[in-house]
Amino acid sequence: MPVEIRIKAQIEAIDAWRYRIARDERRGMRTDVLVYASAALMEQIRKDLSLEQAMNVATLPGIAGHSLAMPDIHQGYGFPIGGVAAMDFDDGVVSPGGVGFDINCGVRLVRTTLEAGDVRPKLRELIDQIFRDVPCGAGGAGFVRIGLQDLGRVLARGAGWMVENGFGEERDARFAEAGGALEGADAAAVSARAKERGLPQLGTLGSGNHFLEVQYVEEIHDADAARAFGIAAGQVVVLIHSGSRGLGHQVCTDYVAEMNKVMPRHGITLPDRQLACCPIRAPEGQAYLGAMCAAANFAWANRQGIMHFLRGAFRRVFGDATRLDLIYDVCHNIAKRERYEVEGRKRDLLVHRKGATRAFPAGHREIPADYRHVGQPVFVPGSMGTASWVLVGAEGAMRETFGSVCHGAGRLMSRTAVRKGRDARQEAKKLEDAGILVRSETRDGILEELPEAYKNVDEVIEVVHCAGLARKVARLRPMGVIKG
Amino acid sequence: MFEILEHPADIGFRTFGGTLEELFANAAVALISIACEIDDVAPRIEYALSATGTDHESLLVSWLGEVLYWFDGKRIALREFRVTHLAPDGIRAAAWGEPRDAQRHRSKLMVKAVTWHQLRIARGDSGWMAEVYLDI
Repeated sequence: MPVEIRIKAQIEAIDAWRYRIARDERRGMRTDVLVYASAALMEQIRKDLSLEQAMNVATLPGIAGHSLAMPDIHQGYGFPIGGVAAMDFDDGVVSPGGVGFDINCGVRLVRTTLEAGDVRPKLRELIDQIFRDVPCGAGGAGFVRIGLQDLGRVLARGAGWMVENGFGEERDARFAEAGGALEGADAAAVSARAKERGLPQLGTLGSGNHFLEVQYVEEIHDADAARAFGIAAGQVVVLIHSGSRGLGHQVCTDYVAEMNKVMPRHGITLPDRQLACCPIRAPEGQAYLGAMCAAANFAWANRQGIMHFLRGAFRRVFGDATRLDLIYDVCHNIAKRERYEVEGRKRDLLVHRKGATRAFPAGHREIPADYRHVGQPVFVPGSMGTASWVLVGAEGAMRETFGSVCHGAGRLMSRTAVRKGRDARQEAKKLEDAGILVRSETRDGILEELPEAYKNVDEVIEVVHCAGLARKVARLRPMGVIKG
Repeated sequence: MFEILEHPADIGFRTFGGTLEELFANAAVALISIACEIDDVAPRIEYALSATGTDHESLLVSWLGEVLYWFDGKRIALREFRVTHLAPDGIRAAAWGEPRDAQRHRSKLMVKAVTWHQLRIARGDSGWMAEVYLDI
């Protein structure tokens, strides 16, 4: 990976947690870039192309407020990963690349009625059982067998369809962001190819950075919020990180191609074709949003399916009295219509969150009633074998970041760099010695996601906590990991 | 036939060809080699692939998208490619491979998509070169 500092722009420190890159008209920037980072994280962030990509996002027509970079930002393609951009709903553009190939990639956190001490003696049995019951999908189809007609219903109704058809409990869908289904999904805007890729993959974890982790609550930082979310120190929880699988990837592929075709007609020129976009109000923009909502619903259905099979695995090992309840499910690759005050005026915006999580504060009507008095739960997975965090949305996010915070630790090292000189078996043994069991469908899965490849998640969390975007609720420690 | 290019989160490759037809065929081999152990695949069945574009760059993205669709959607592992027609607006090719079999074909990285990120096609003294990044 190149280590020289690539960008020539002036980076100005606003305070200990915020940096600004002023709008540069020669680059076509319409607004500033605002970066949330500590001095130490900023040194890492400057080493790849992510800030240049955030500056490119600032050139997009209709951008409102600033082009935002979260502390876990790293280089993506077109948009940086860990970026937020809000577009005016009437005059702005929608960019499929600003949502990403994995539409509604997200995280769901499940609480169990077990303590770490109950699970530890049967951990190997549990992890092996989950590995059998929750397929990664590299080798073939998952266990949810549906036809095209039912796929159409999944695309329209998301997690709710799964629950009604035996893949979950009534409460599950209500405790997902947007109730586990976005309105406005248009299955007809999803290509036959996307449906074909997605159909056998429903209820599968996928690969790359996707995983399922059995964890225990190590520390509680906010007792009120923890009580509301139903978690206490020592309790076992399960974090599921997955997305819309081949269906979402194909939707993004199809619409990036479509928008590259129609951009000249809309008079849009861009510094990077991966940023391909078109006016939200244009027919192609509306078609993409319909397809994106459908893919997002597929992702919620997918995580619901995974949770259903996870419940089965826990009950097989610990008996039928074991309960698994959904705490919440958040997406971190999405574009959503939301209303914010910008420069003193309330505006309808399309908020692109590419590797960023919604973080609404207490009182927001979109938060389930049980949590409304504390705020929306936010889950930030760390790298494999390190900590993950539960946060709660704070007021600062509404004022500064269109209700958004970070989504992970953020990658530091390339896949090839982290593999050099390392052996998968030895690394799995090292994790096991540290009390963490790992099962992976592919040999390279473990190596490429080693903790060394990522930033320190605690440093990332410190920034969003101190900047007032979200508050720490609990730190989670891994016990076992299933990887694609 | 190809070399890996590093990216903080994903992966890319650089490939070459004496002609554009060879370049596109080699890019397809590179994509499959990143997704699975290509030597596990027997080139025993012939398939017909095609894609359209508006210039060489968009054609390369769309062609590799076609190869990925066969791999992930139709679940066919392909090993050899022969481009039979190539113009900026379209490509047709014959490809040889077999249906994917989890027992015999070892998976490597799950490729989500082909990106436009730093996409490059260039002509040199001895032929063509392309650089492509994949979303993993």
